[in-house]
Amino acid sequence: MNLAFSGPDGIIILTLYAVVMLLIGYLAGRGQKGLHKSLSGYYLAGKNLGIIALFFTLYATQYSGNTIVGYAPTAYRDGFSWLQSIPFMTIIIAMYLMFAPRLYVISKRQNFVTPTDWITYRFQSKAVTLLAIFLMLWGLGNYLLEQLVAIGHAVAGMTGGTIPYEWAVIAFVFVMLTYEWLGGMKAVAFTDVMQGLVLMVGVVVLLAGALYLVECDFTDVTRYIAEREPAKAAAPDLETSVNWMSMLILVGFGAAIYPHAVQRIYSAESERTLKRSFARMAWMPPVTTGLVFLVGIIGIMLFPGLDEQGSEQLVGMMANQVASINLVFYWVMVLFFGAIVAAIISTADSVLLSFSSMLSNDVYGKYINPHASEERKVRFGKIGGIIAVAILLWIAWNPPATLYEIFVLKFELLVQVAPAFFLGLYWTRLSAKPVFWGMLVGAVFSGFMTLTGNDTVLGVHGGVIGLFINVLICVVGSYMTSVSTQSRRQMDEKLSMEI
Amino acid sequence: MDGKVKEPIRKKWIWVVLALILLGNVPWYWPKGIIEPIIFGFPSWAFVSVVFALLLCGFLSWLCLNQWNLVEEVEEEERKGEGELR
Repeated sequence: MNLAFSGPDGIIILTLYAVVMLLIGYLAGRGQKGLHKSLSGYYLAGKNLGIIALFFTLYATQYSGNTIVGYAPTAYRDGFSWLQSIPFMTIIIAMYLMFAPRLYVISKRQNFVTPTDWITYRFQSKAVTLLAIFLMLWGLGNYLLEQLVAIGHAVAGMTGGTIPYEWAVIAFVFVMLTYEWLGGMKAVAFTDVMQGLVLMVGVVVLLAGALYLVECDFTDVTRYIAEREPAKAAAPDLETSVNWMSMLILVGFGAAIYPHAVQRIYSAESERTLKRSFARMAWMPPVTTGLVFLVGIIGIMLFPGLDEQGSEQLVGMMANQVASINLVFYWVMVLFFGAIVAAIISTADSVLLSFSSMLSNDVYGKYINPHASEERKVRFGKIGGIIAVAILLWIAWNPPATLYEIFVLKFELLVQVAPAFFLGLYWTRLSAKPVFWGMLVGAVFSGFMTLTGNDTVLGVHGGVIGLFINVLICVVGSYMTSVSTQSRRQMDEKLSMEI
Repeated sequence: MDGKVKEPIRKKWIWVVLALILLGNVPWYWPKGIIEPIIFGFPSWAFVSVVFALLLCGFLSWLCLNQWNLVEEVEEEERKGEGELR
């Protein structure tokens, strides 16, 4: 996209953001000698995040710059049925409510660092642990890849190609790696406060500008759509409704058990902090995806007749128009585009930190060198994370000719770990073998559906069908496995709420 | 803290209400193609969907604050204790 503000102004703002992020990272790590010697110190900010940092890190992790750049065009193409983006981001909190309260208590008692720690503790099965590690690392890796690609597009778009795509990615990845190296989770959470704030303000201003362009009359926009493109305003057919419901399930379960999301439960300073952060998070979808939805809908009137490729540029075109209103809007839009880049980074950094923590604690700490010092484990994860980013960048720039689709798999795989949490926390009968087979069959099935181009069947996502099969195997299999009274009693103790 | 322990998953009514809100949010019960009347700029079905979406936010936010209480008292007591020691 070519923006009116392409060039030097964009570069100045981006540099400013980068400097602020580095500064925050430096301050977060300064004077904390123990930080790099402790897994929970480095990866979970010492399990001591207060309400402001916890809330913003939840927010900035869940809402990426992609949410804005990608969701507005979807609203443009799908019309009012994209209202589903509000409830599917909200339902994540309901899923948290199903498992976070108890997992928080057990994680404090057992000093968990990664989601895998829970799985090892609950099932004591090498097979389940390894499969879960594999699925989570795969999902996280692909998620990270997506964010890395997005950084390049956003920066190149903002500076009108003055900063080429590759250089943009390398520069910002360098910034991200540096502050993460310096301050770990603490740096990630503190930079999230800045990144989350600018994103919130940016979305509000973009909508204000868009409303200004249509003379503040949203009813006019809807009437326009109803006349010209009635399908986008009309009540959807049953298949769209089924797809809507399926999306609630897929995103709800998938996003709540993202490894970095689970680790934010572990990082909370107290139960009080955690529930207050969630209570605020529950209100964020209407003011984030909700506003982005409105921007997309207004776009239908401002830029009619865009094809799929053209509509992907919607936010850029909109920002361009808004920037030309007057000088104030101009500078706010420059800040806003910087905010999009910052928001992508704030999601990428959390994913990378989670990825590193699993390398440290799960791969290295459980299997390669269990007796190593925590300092050594942390270092392994940090270096492993950098290598992973290098590999992902290489893949992003040299996409393999075939099987590229395997890099798209994300939610479908992650969501298969859900039963190990949701059932495992409450159902003492649930045993390791059925969990393993459920996870495996669910992942293979939904992966196969996506790879063969059948994302949905009658509106239901492959990942959701896979999850259903997975749960079925878990439940039936566990009933068929005999469990002694003694081992059930032991399990009861393990899952107890004593702190 | 006896008697005050609250865990959302153990309360069936929470999940019944949640299911009802979701069923209200998904526009499966509207005749296909309907737009009018337009309410506050939204097609009527979309307006109702937004109302349920906001209801969902409010309900979940309220649940977090009022129906979740496992170890808060113990933790806050401990903290107070630590504070006094300092």
